[in-house]
Amino acid sequence: MNAELMLKLQAWVDGELPASEAAHIAEWVRKDAAAAALAAELKMTRGFLTGNEPEVKLPESREFHWSKIQKAIERAEAEPSPREALPWATALRRFLVPVSGLALVAFLTVLSIGIFNRDTSTGTTDELLVEEETLSRHVETSTYNSQANNMYVVYIINKDVGDDDPMDLDSDMDEDMDDSVIQ
Amino acid sequence: MATHPEIPEVSDEILVRRAQRGNMPAFEELVGRHRDKIYARAFSMMRNEDDAVDLSQEAWVKGWQRLKQFQGESSFVTWMTRIVINLCLDQLRKHKRQRAESIEQLEDDLGGVERQMPAVTVNPTEGLERTELRARIDKALGQLSYEHRTVLILHEFEDLEYKEIAKRMQCSIGTVMSRLFYARRKMANLMMSWKREQQS
Repeated sequence: MNAELMLKLQAWVDGELPASEAAHIAEWVRKDAAAAALAAELKMTRGFLTGNEPEVKLPESREFHWSKIQKAIERAEAEPSPREALPWATALRRFLVPVSGLALVAFLTVLSIGIFNRDTSTGTTDELLVEEETLSRHVETSTYNSQANNMYVVYIINKDVGDDDPMDLDSDMDEDMDDSVIQ
Repeated sequence: MATHPEIPEVSDEILVRRAQRGNMPAFEELVGRHRDKIYARAFSMMRNEDDAVDLSQEAWVKGWQRLKQFQGESSFVTWMTRIVINLCLDQLRKHKRQRAESIEQLEDDLGGVERQMPAVTVNPTEGLERTELRARIDKALGQLSYEHRTVLILHEFEDLEYKEIAKRMQCSIGTVMSRLFYARRKMANLMMSWKREQQS
């Protein structure tokens, strides 16, 4: 009897074989003494295990066990994980980043109008690269002004990209999958 | 511990609903009722008292934190048992990663010896008192590798199907079938050898 047949025989005993194959195995067990003996052993083993799980008692008192659980719960609740704090922080960040970006663009537009409206005949600076200070730690901005090329460029860099991306939920999902509970 | 005289009369379902609203004494009662069962499952898988106590405690903390996710599709104790099983599997995986697998263990997985053994035709548990039978089952479980033991526990005691066991143990259905087969055969043969010892 090969290993594959033995496993099919077991699946038949456990009722996990499709009906088409189950009929075939049942016929084989009826005709083959070795298969019948193995099926009988597997059923017997299953039979004596069912309902006879070893009984083990928790080796500490109910009070002591509960006190440890209660402390652990309180400790966990007192120290919310960074992920728990994320929803409001993320919402605030999602609001502030575009708003601060827009405000900056508006400010620089006004500034550039002023620059381009200046009389350049007496200009002293042809090209200028400036890092602008912003109120958001998530955005970095720089401007490049070239009067010679009549060009004004604003760079807005989102410093969050590739770092702690609030949309990156993969790690959280993996964690949940590990401990998922199927009811 | 505070006394809650009315609580022992209340069903698990009602206690769960109270606990879901943040009622800690209700949860405390649930812990009190099912602590042995949760610990026993952890112990049967880990075979170590300290690990089993720690993991069952961790399971209760997780249970409290996730209680709102419990919709009542299964009984509360079944739901809690699944949590402790997952924690044990995580822990066993960590242990496994830390130790190098021996050749013997690989052979054990393949089940070369068990496949060749003749079928046990006499019931080796016949005439045993239930307490003695359980003690022998416990002893035999302790002699199985953790992979074989876990598959056997999940199939025979938790009544999980091959597919569900494979998902939880992160292996193929074929591996589950193979491990279950050799775990059963080894179990039958161990029980038979102890019966023979007793008779001689």
